Amino acid sequence: MMLFDSVIAAACLGAAAMALFARDRIAAVAAFLVMGLLVALSWLRLGAPDVALAEAAIGAGLTGALLLRSARRVPKASAKALPPAQWLGAALLSLAVSGAILWTALIVETAAIYPALVNEALPESGVENPVTAVLLNFRAWDTLLEIAVLFAALAVIAVVKPVHPRIAPLGPMMLPFARVVLPLTIFLAGHLLWQGGHAPGGAFQAGAILAGGAIALGLSGMVRPIRWGRAALAGLAILGLGAFVVAALAAELLTGALLGYPAGAAKAWILAIESALTLSIAATLLLLFIGPAERH
Amino acid sequence: MTALLHSAGLVLMIAGTAFLAVAALGVWRLPDLLSRLHVLTKADTAGVALIALGAACLAQSFTATLSLLLCTLLVALSGATTGHLIARDHLDFASSQEDSP
Repeated sequence: MMLFDSVIAAACLGAAAMALFARDRIAAVAAFLVMGLLVALSWLRLGAPDVALAEAAIGAGLTGALLLRSARRVPKASAKALPPAQWLGAALLSLAVSGAILWTALIVETAAIYPALVNEALPESGVENPVTAVLLNFRAWDTLLEIAVLFAALAVIAVVKPVHPRIAPLGPMMLPFARVVLPLTIFLAGHLLWQGGHAPGGAFQAGAILAGGAIALGLSGMVRPIRWGRAALAGLAILGLGAFVVAALAAELLTGALLGYPAGAAKAWILAIESALTLSIAATLLLLFIGPAERH
Repeated sequence: MTALLHSAGLVLMIAGTAFLAVAALGVWRLPDLLSRLHVLTKADTAGVALIALGAACLAQSFTATLSLLLCTLLVALSGATTGHLIARDHLDFASSQEDSP
């Protein structure tokens, strides 16, 4: 498999170079998408299927949709070569970063104390997937703040109100496509959400897939952008953070520990929080795509 | 029986890879967008379907076959739809160029 890994690593670098140096914006975005998929494959080879799923769904899928949506508004890259000073600066910076990573990898050889600790405490967490146990139980506080950051990003965009070009329907083939894909994404999102308890999956991946299905429906022209009900979507976007905070406070009241779930009921708590997060993440990503505020 | 399925799976996967290689060759060598799309949409879908069929023969499990079937369905659907969308956009662009020289 050494050969396979080397080919993937080389292809990642090639796709990244194409994304950077392609003059045409659409071509650059396409190269970026390919790089996202290759990076997802690399995560899989590194034994991190959870990260691979998230990278494929969010990094390659939804970021790609957002970038393609804005690609036409960014002017073509200028034909002028960069000044040598900028090249030198970029080269020094990337050398420094690579050096730091290499140094960390060489010096910190035994960073592997966490897997043993997590495995030891896994039965108490209520779930069997160690990644979900860390994200939603042992370090749930971090995830709560992450959701707050996602919401803050949406809030900033709602305040700045960038001009979102109108979503033009993509023609008659999109509706049959959305008719098949949207139910499948709902089904897959539910599957990933439930699967997060014992295998790779979870709220972020499920939410991103759900948002993808909704975007397919939006591009079919079946639902007018005006009538999306942005207020309802914004409500859903708040729901995740709200439910998480309420759960944290309720757990504090019940057990005396912030986000320390009552013993034996941890699975139900985690599933409830993750369900709210899935809907909320899907709504947030969809709002990022269609624009969180109407511009008058 | 198992050995037979195993070799059948390998043959199917090699055939699928050949289809994908032909598709890549076509995208590289064919002169214009429409003929590239023509080779890409068909050979791509056929290649992925054959590889999925071969993988199903190798995996020999019902759940794995179900996921592979879902993958093939999604690739076929999205491949055909994106091919159509790209061609449509290309034709729209070409006719707009003719209207306003």
